[in-house]
Formats: sequence, structure tokens, C-alpha cells
Amino acid sequence: MDYTFQWGVAFSHLPYLLGGALVTLHLTFFGFVIGLLIGLVASVLQAYGGSVLRSLASGYIVFFTNTPSLVTAFFLFFGLPEFGILLSPYECILINLALNAGAFLADVFRGGIASVRQVELEAAEVLGFSLVQKVRYVIVPHISKACYPPISNLYIIFILGSAMASIFGVEELTGRAFNIDSETFRSIEIYSITAGIYVLLTFFANVLLTLVGRYVFRVKARIF
Amino acid sequence: MFELAAEQAGMFFTWPNLGYWGRAMITTLTMAALGCGFGFIFAFLLVYFRTWPLKAMIPVRIILTLYVEVFRRIPFLVLTFLVLFGTRGFGFRFSLFSVACLTILLISTAYIAEIIRAGFESIHPNQWEAAAVLNFGRFKTIFGVIAPQSWPLIIPPAFSYFVMFVKETSLTSQIGALELMSAGKYFNSIGISPLLAFGTCLSLYFALSYPLTLLGHRIEKKLKLRFKGKIVKSHEISLIDRNKSHQVAN
Repeated sequence: MDYTFQWGVAFSHLPYLLGGALVTLHLTFFGFVIGLLIGLVASVLQAYGGSVLRSLASGYIVFFTNTPSLVTAFFLFFGLPEFGILLSPYECILINLALNAGAFLADVFRGGIASVRQVELEAAEVLGFSLVQKVRYVIVPHISKACYPPISNLYIIFILGSAMASIFGVEELTGRAFNIDSETFRSIEIYSITAGIYVLLTFFANVLLTLVGRYVFRVKARIF
Repeated sequence: MFELAAEQAGMFFTWPNLGYWGRAMITTLTMAALGCGFGFIFAFLLVYFRTWPLKAMIPVRIILTLYVEVFRRIPFLVLTFLVLFGTRGFGFRFSLFSVACLTILLISTAYIAEIIRAGFESIHPNQWEAAAVLNFGRFKTIFGVIAPQSWPLIIPPAFSYFVMFVKETSLTSQIGALELMSAGKYFNSIGISPLLAFGTCLSLYFALSYPLTLLGHRIEKKLKLRFKGKIVKSHEISLIDRNKSHQVAN
């Protein structure tokens, strides 16, 4: 069987798709920032909390790192209305992404906290650092340097993972591709273009994150 | 709220239903294992040719690098649709299960190739040079010297990618492949409370993924011990075992 490509039809919808890419970007950005806060709190609780808080935090991390984000999204999307909480698809996905990101980031931060050695804290003590100085000059540089590469990797993975928002009717990049596909039936062309936009999007995000890492956190990383 | 779930629990947890869940679980695991298993083999071949330092290999290297960079950046969901419509459009009527496997294969090859390349690059250049001095060919250098030393750096992240793909397969329910997530959707659509249907789905995914994660940690610990204890010995052994004529001191 032969398939006749009609790229013109697909490309005429390009602006609509690019608008979807913008939605993807701010969905993942806000989800990730909230996830960073959740992850920070969870990892600090896991490292310094009491026994109850510690087991709560590690339970949260283990649960969300071991279940697919699609299934938790289904659970939230269809389960929360049973409790009388009605959320829009966008809010629901945002919460789901943030919770997922939080668990993975907490794991990353745990590694970062472990990378600060006791000896260095003692050395800071000997030099008469106050608590603020210790955090500013010893703890934060260490943690940020150890955590930055995995965090930027996770951000890329979350941009890709946010494609599942389309299943719940959020009109981001993949969601808009669905819409055009059901209108025009040029599936191969539409999805190829969508994939291309994702490739460019993550590539630029990657370059940007690498440059920020190089000049702000002094992390040496190659773009390729 | 919970009343509906409690009411339906009796008619939900019956043997035929549990069998259905069990089969769905096995399908999920098979998909991920097939995709990642073959993906590992293809990724190894890809890296084998991609790191070949020959002038004649430059076009191959460019194509393989492009493949890795592109396929690592396409969302699983979009690629699933692309593979489905791509194969159907050209008249290949693959089953939905094989479409899912093919998609996992395409993505996991790119991901695992990056892991293997990182493993190879972490080997000290002296090892490559030593192999060249001993007049080892490409095949002997990779399988006799480089690969045995880099397993401890390759296997743990590759395994955690496998666990990630076990979870990622849930997206293939969107094209209608019958796996764990579609079982949850099916039960929800025949009127079972979403708390019960998706709750069971969640706990089964957890039951699949958590033991695998623990196994991964165990493997990592074991390989690390071997790596740290006998960092020089292990390559020595592998050299002497494979070619008895080349006895390398230290």
C-alpha cells in the first residue's frame, strides 16, 4: 500500500502547534518549580526529621518513584471527584507532575545532602562561620554542584513526560496534535512535526540549562 | 466515596478478574523486557560502531549520533502514535503488542546507547592504548578489555532504565495494547469505582516496580564491590582468560 504524504496540510497548522509548545513549557515549568519545593522539603525531612516524618517522607518518595505518572494522574483525575474535589484537567496534571517531580527530585537532593562531608562542616565551625555563612558558603555550593546535572536531566525527561497531559484533554503540544489529527487525518505528518518540535524544544532547553550550569554553578558539561 | 468501592469489592476481587489482572501484568513485563533486552543488544552494536575511530566511519557516526539525539527527545506517547500510524500507513499490520514493543525498542536503544557510551568513556585511555599496543583488533579491544571493565558502570543505570520502561508502558494503553493500565481503564469503564480500579492498578505497578528497584540497588552494590576491590585484577583476568599468549604484567 502506498501512502501519499501531504506535508502542506500539516504545516498549515504549525502556529497552532507552536502555541501548544508554549503550554507544554509553562505546564512543565510550574510543575517542576513546585516539585523542587516539595522535593527539598521531603529530602530535608528524610535527612533530619523525626521517625514519623522520616518514614512519611520516604513513603512518599518510594510510592511516587515506583508508580507510573499516568496511573497516578488517572487516580487523581477520576478519584478526586469522588471526594467532592473538582479540578480542571490542567490543575490536575500540574498537581500530578509536581508530586512526581517532587519524589524524583527528593531522591536527587538526598544524594546532594550526602555529598556534604562532615569534615567540611567542622572546618567551617573552626573558622567561626555562623549558620547562615555555613549554609551560604559550604552547604549550598556543594549541593547545587552535585544536584544540578541530574536536575537538568530530569527537567528534560519531564518535558517529554508531560505529553501524557493530552490524554486528559489539556491542550498542550501533543493534545493539539490530537486535535489536528482528528480533523485532517494526516497522522504521520502531524506526529512527525510534533516529534520534531519536541526534539527542538528539548534541545534548546538542554543548551540553555548547560550554559546556566556552566556560568552559574560551575558545572562542566558538554552539550552533546 | 468509599461506600461504592467497599460495595463493589466483593464482586471485583473474583478469580476471573484476578486472572485478567495477572495476564495484564505479565504483558506489561514482557513488553518492557523484550523492548529493553533487544534494545540493549542494538545499543551495544550502535556504540560499537559509533566509537570506532576510523575516517571511513565518519558518516556512520553522524547517522548514529543523530539517531540517538533525536530518539532520546521524542515523547513515548508521540512515538507510539508515530509507529502505529507509520506501520499501518505503509500496509504493515503489526499487532498492537508488537507496535508497543517496537516503540520501546526504538527509544530504549537510544537511551541505553548513551549509558554504554558513558561507560566506555569512563575507561582510562591507557587501556585503549594498551590494547592497541598489543595489536588487538576492534572486536578484541571492546569485548576483551573495555566491556568487562565498564559493566559495573553500565548495568545499574541500564537496569533502572528498564524499571522506568516498565512504568512507561502504561502509555501504550492509549493505542489499545492490553496491559495493566488498560485493564484499569476497562474495569473503570464497566462501572467499577475509579478508586478501586485505578487503586488496584497503582498497587500492581508498585508490586512490579518496587522489587525490581530493590534488585537494581542490590546489583549496583555487588558490582561496585567487585569494581572497587579488583580494579586492576579484573581486567588482568579478562585479558589472560581470553588470550593465553598475552600475559600482561600488572
